[in-house]
Amino acid sequence: MAPAAAAAAQPAPPSLSLPPSQFARLQPHAYLLAHLSPPPSSNQPSIRANGRAPSQFRVTSANTGSLTHTNGSAVVRLGDTTAVCGVRAEILHTEDIASWSVSRPTPASSSPTGNKRRKLTDSTAKLSAESENKEEDGDDESQIQDFSLLVPNLSLSTGCAPGFIPGAPPSALAQSLSHQILTLLHSTRLVRAEDLRIWYQPPNLGPEELERHNENEQMDVDAPQGEVDLEKNKEIKAFWVLYIDIMIISLAGNPFDAAWAAVLAALRDTKLARAWWDVDNEMVVCSDAVSEARKLSLRGLPISSTFCVFEADAASGWRAVVIPDAEEEKELDDSTRKGIQRRWVLADPDGYEEGLSQERICVVVDKEQDGKGKTVIMKLEKNGGWAVDTKELKTLVDISAQRWEDLKQILEQC
Amino acid sequence: MVGPTASLTPLSRADGSASYQCPSTGSNILGSVNAPIELPGRRDALRPEDATVEVFVKPGTAPGGVGERYVEGIIKNMLTKLILGREKGYARRGVVITLAIVGGESVGRGDSYLTLLPALLHTALLALLSASVPLSMTFSATVLAVDASGKITREPSPKEAATATSLHVFAFSSNGHLLLSESQGPFEFKTWENVHQRALAICHGTLARSSDGDVAMAEDVDGQPLEGALREVVEDKIHLDYAWKIDAP
Amino acid sequence: MNKEAPLSIAERDFILNALREDVRLDGREADQFRPLNVSFGEEYGHVKIQLGKTSLIVRISSEVTKPHDDRPFDGIFTIALELTAMGSPAWENGRQGDLESYVSNVLDRVIRHSNALDTESLCVLKGVSCWSIRADVHITDYDGNLIDAACIGIMAGLQHFRRPDAVVKDGQVIVYGVDERVPVALNITHKPLSITFHTFDEGKRVILDATRKEEQASEADVLIGLNNAGDVCYISKFSGFPVDAMVFVNKSSVALEKVKEINNIIDKALQADLTKRAKTALVEESRAANDR
Repeated sequence: MAPAAAAAAQPAPPSLSLPPSQFARLQPHAYLLAHLSPPPSSNQPSIRANGRAPSQFRVTSANTGSLTHTNGSAVVRLGDTTAVCGVRAEILHTEDIASWSVSRPTPASSSPTGNKRRKLTDSTAKLSAESENKEEDGDDESQIQDFSLLVPNLSLSTGCAPGFIPGAPPSALAQSLSHQILTLLHSTRLVRAEDLRIWYQPPNLGPEELERHNENEQMDVDAPQGEVDLEKNKEIKAFWVLYIDIMIISLAGNPFDAAWAAVLAALRDTKLARAWWDVDNEMVVCSDAVSEARKLSLRGLPISSTFCVFEADAASGWRAVVIPDAEEEKELDDSTRKGIQRRWVLADPDGYEEGLSQERICVVVDKEQDGKGKTVIMKLEKNGGWAVDTKELKTLVDISAQRWEDLKQILEQC
Repeated sequence: MVGPTASLTPLSRADGSASYQCPSTGSNILGSVNAPIELPGRRDALRPEDATVEVFVKPGTAPGGVGERYVEGIIKNMLTKLILGREKGYARRGVVITLAIVGGESVGRGDSYLTLLPALLHTALLALLSASVPLSMTFSATVLAVDASGKITREPSPKEAATATSLHVFAFSSNGHLLLSESQGPFEFKTWENVHQRALAICHGTLARSSDGDVAMAEDVDGQPLEGALREVVEDKIHLDYAWKIDAP
Repeated sequence: MNKEAPLSIAERDFILNALREDVRLDGREADQFRPLNVSFGEEYGHVKIQLGKTSLIVRISSEVTKPHDDRPFDGIFTIALELTAMGSPAWENGRQGDLESYVSNVLDRVIRHSNALDTESLCVLKGVSCWSIRADVHITDYDGNLIDAACIGIMAGLQHFRRPDAVVKDGQVIVYGVDERVPVALNITHKPLSITFHTFDEGKRVILDATRKEEQASEADVLIGLNNAGDVCYISKFSGFPVDAMVFVNKSSVALEKVKEINNIIDKALQADLTKRAKTALVEESRAANDR
């Protein structure tokens, strides 16, 4: 950052020469503004103080499977922001779920969520092959949410940034990030409930079948269509609960992107042991054979991109805000076209830039058919200002779609 | 379409308060504002020349959790930009906004707060007005649900929201800026644009920036724009409070 | 900043001197409550209490959960009280103060520990599922006598609340929606209420239902929790100056009288709400019939 900064810091009075790092601390707003709109005479390109172009993301790297005691883990670095995520699976018996044995009276008519807990409707839905996908999809989401099968928790560890002191309760930021990850997990329906179910398959009635008891049980997932009787008697005995712990060990802006990428990478890495219900011992038994463990099959690959808006009006920090109305806004846009830029939308802001801006935009996109299909927005969030409207958001969605490609490659390589 | 009902200053102890009821989403919010108020010294004010805005959301029938912290963050981020915290008497002081959900269904763990967000925002705005906190502008907000067939429902009930594919919350300033946009669930940008148009019509009606036929039609469906409804609440209160002055010869 | 702004010496003296002449600031008798208004919302168990300038909202909610392991036959009943900046600017959001823990403790003792709500009746299936009843108290305006007002609110709420009907059928608990089956009232064993007295002038003057200013000027408080039958379920002298033992004896009869009076007001409000509901239900029914 030093050479670029030194050059751009020229506008500071030459008599009182100040090293760029001090200028950055004393006049952060002017410092960033000087980088983004250098005087025309200097022939400098407009660039952010950290040397990036406005829509450029930081160098991202991901590494999975580094924690040995978890079912899946990942470390994601986004410039100087580092997030570690570990996924741990625990078994939750259905008899320990208070709402498991509770049902609404008329599952078909009353409410669409009414039938979710009934084990029989569950398996009959499976039989109708056509409607399987739709039917099962709706079923999935509600079970994961109703029984809290995904438990993300994000902590901003001591010392990740200067403001975080030991022994403090979880900050509002950490709590709100945990919630965002949880709602995004629910709304994207990333994890399939089928992957988390642990079934009990009663043996076929004939005495000779009893011998093969064990083999039968293993066929829980892909039991052929013919074994209708078996299907009917199948019963969910337990669930895997995924505890997704995210630790931000270094915070230099944009914690959400880093945390979400870490969750995504860790879930892609997660393997669950084969588990089944053992009738004789009345407990869930797991196989310790590594070859039998299977990975989660995730739905899509939602990728998040965060942006912030930096406004040129330095005085906005010192006097009452004057808000241009919609008409003036148009004029403003015109002046932008003439080359006088007043505001910049910065992708993947670092800590310094976050401190200088209030308006935040977060876009989570996915592409259908593994990148070949159209872009689908999973979440779009914007608040804290009025600079970004429809037109700007459209550009940002396009940038996010670009980012999707990049991050997909990074996640696939790790 | 039954519009929301609201009342200003129902409480006596807080500096300003408002209650807000939205019949279609079933939410009933009571809000209070204490401002300007001395904040304890432990907090290192973010910017010494500015007021600190604090938002607290209290769920009706459940203990508070991470969901509340998240929605508090959104409301705070939006209002900080509107409250003129540098006015005389506000710098280094606090603006404490408390919003209690006193009616309607509670939001469960991991559920989205989006259906409640417009009601919370409106309550906060009215309470701020009631406490005479200087604001740079007012706003109006709405929530829309899009279901699998692409049908847009305005201010969905909890049941409708649960079955919707995507939920969208918009807030527009009195000048027509897009102040806040929170969307969730799979959708395409085209859908977002449609919903955005509809939301603008709901909030502003004819004041909408684009005045093509489409918008005008939508306005008829939605009845009185929200912006005006909120304005009326405040006007009614002023008429009531100053009746002695207005009616005097 | 967790304290109300203290009274000035002049104000304190004024209140005290007036009391010496048997006059209270708002013109009440020493043994007189402020006007009490109990109203109910649309939902079951939604109560609004207005006691003078003190007001609060109580919401009762229910859900099916797993009972505690050590008490498989018992349901769960919790009282949640959180003081927010809405009630008084002196209270801070999200931080528990002394007052909050004290009031929660007293409410727990008067209502929960005296078993006003029969928790055994909340059991659905032994050790597997039971009802969990939660009373949330939202203080909206604070002008003294929080405990008595909260007690009235919770007791009125419990009597007003109706939980959905639940039936056990081959190990499955079936919960019927409010529109499918007539919801069930809670099993209330008795109706305890608390009455708070404050003493002044070295215990010579005793008043009940003090306002915030009177509370601040008082020397000590005496709290008696009783039900209609006159059974004492809680008695405390929490802080401040010593109080003559005779105060407890003399004032418990006053307290009993007040408890009966307040329970009457609650009963009347409940009755009025019930007839109103019955009427609207009839209207709805006839409208539905007309539609057909």
